[in-house]
Amino acid sequence: MKHGPLAWSGATGAALLMLPPLRAWLESSMTLHMLVQGPLLVLCGVLLTGGLSAQVRARLDGWNACGITGLVATAVAFALFMIPRLLDLAVADLRVDAAKALALAASGIALRLSWRRAGAMVQGFFLGNMLPMTGAVGQMYQDSPLRLCNAYLLGDQVLLGQLLVALAVAAGVVWFALLARALVRREHEAGLAVIGKP
Amino acid sequence: MLRTVLASIALALTGYAGAAWLTHGFQAWTAEGGRRLEVALAPVAAPAVAIDGPGLPAQPLPQVLADGRSVTVVDFFYTRCETVCLSLGSTFQQLQAALQAEAAPSGVRLLSVSFDPRDSTADLRAYAARLKADPKHWRFVRGADDAQTRTLLQAFQVVVVPAGRGDFEHNAALLVVDQRGQLVRVFDIAEQELALNYARHLAGRGAS
Repeated sequence: MKHGPLAWSGATGAALLMLPPLRAWLESSMTLHMLVQGPLLVLCGVLLTGGLSAQVRARLDGWNACGITGLVATAVAFALFMIPRLLDLAVADLRVDAAKALALAASGIALRLSWRRAGAMVQGFFLGNMLPMTGAVGQMYQDSPLRLCNAYLLGDQVLLGQLLVALAVAAGVVWFALLARALVRREHEAGLAVIGKP
Repeated sequence: MLRTVLASIALALTGYAGAAWLTHGFQAWTAEGGRRLEVALAPVAAPAVAIDGPGLPAQPLPQVLADGRSVTVVDFFYTRCETVCLSLGSTFQQLQAALQAEAAPSGVRLLSVSFDPRDSTADLRAYAARLKADPKHWRFVRGADDAQTRTLLQAFQVVVVPAGRGDFEHNAALLVVDQRGQLVRVFDIAEQELALNYARHLAGRGAS
């Protein structure tokens, strides 16, 4: 099994992230919590996917036409992760934190299993929902005169808000650039094919 | 495709249920909103932690709060605070002025609790003098030690975050504790009128 080591590193990484020293450090700041710990947990899920057997994948694929189920799962998990109360609860209650970590790692698996299958249409619909939501949440974090999380400082919240908006814009631009490149390439090849005909 | 539709609907419903749980039925999106709702729905008994302060020998907190007659408006602060506690201090000064102006005592008292282990009884006394606190209406206490303070903060869901340079950030609010020593309502600092009227109402005199 050539993906074995990667899958193990995903599982080990997720476990390490939730152990006291790393967990305490990454959850000491709102920005680290949401933009470092969160994405790392998703990445662990992505790596873990390599450990799934072909049979399991085939069975999951049957429930995941065009990657829609996986992207819905990811959207749900990310949306919940953006509710400020979740961050406070995760810091205060290990059970909530464990559920959060499992959901984010599962999103990583779902993303890996679904993204390619989704194609530009479904991807666009997913991002068209997620990115404006991320941007709106980021703007709210910047504009709120009050701390939205009891565990975090206001400056941290503003920084996170700015980074979320930047991330939403950057992700949109990158996705669109990749899509445009693929389209141009396809058109180019189609053009060559037409020219090549007698 | 049918299986995908069913799975997606199930996931969306799970997400909806999760969000409803997380936000107390879409009423509170922040931990502070959740805390205020929870306290209003289910009062929290003041924990039996040891406290002391100027003019108050060491004793369990419920002994101070649950005298059977008075309703207490409680706030948390630290004497070295330069930001939100200053506005809390002036809010409490205004509350004290309102209590002093009462023709007949309403049975509402004020209690400021320091959560800073650096604060000594002398610090509290100096702070009280600076704010012209009248011990008849407004008293100051601190936890006997760090562990006692932390137990109290946890029970009342007060979250204190070190903000560097010896400062703290905390979810400052006006906590109304009834005659039996139960925290029954948490008001925003800006809602001092409401907090006072509610406390007076609880104390059995009604509000003007």
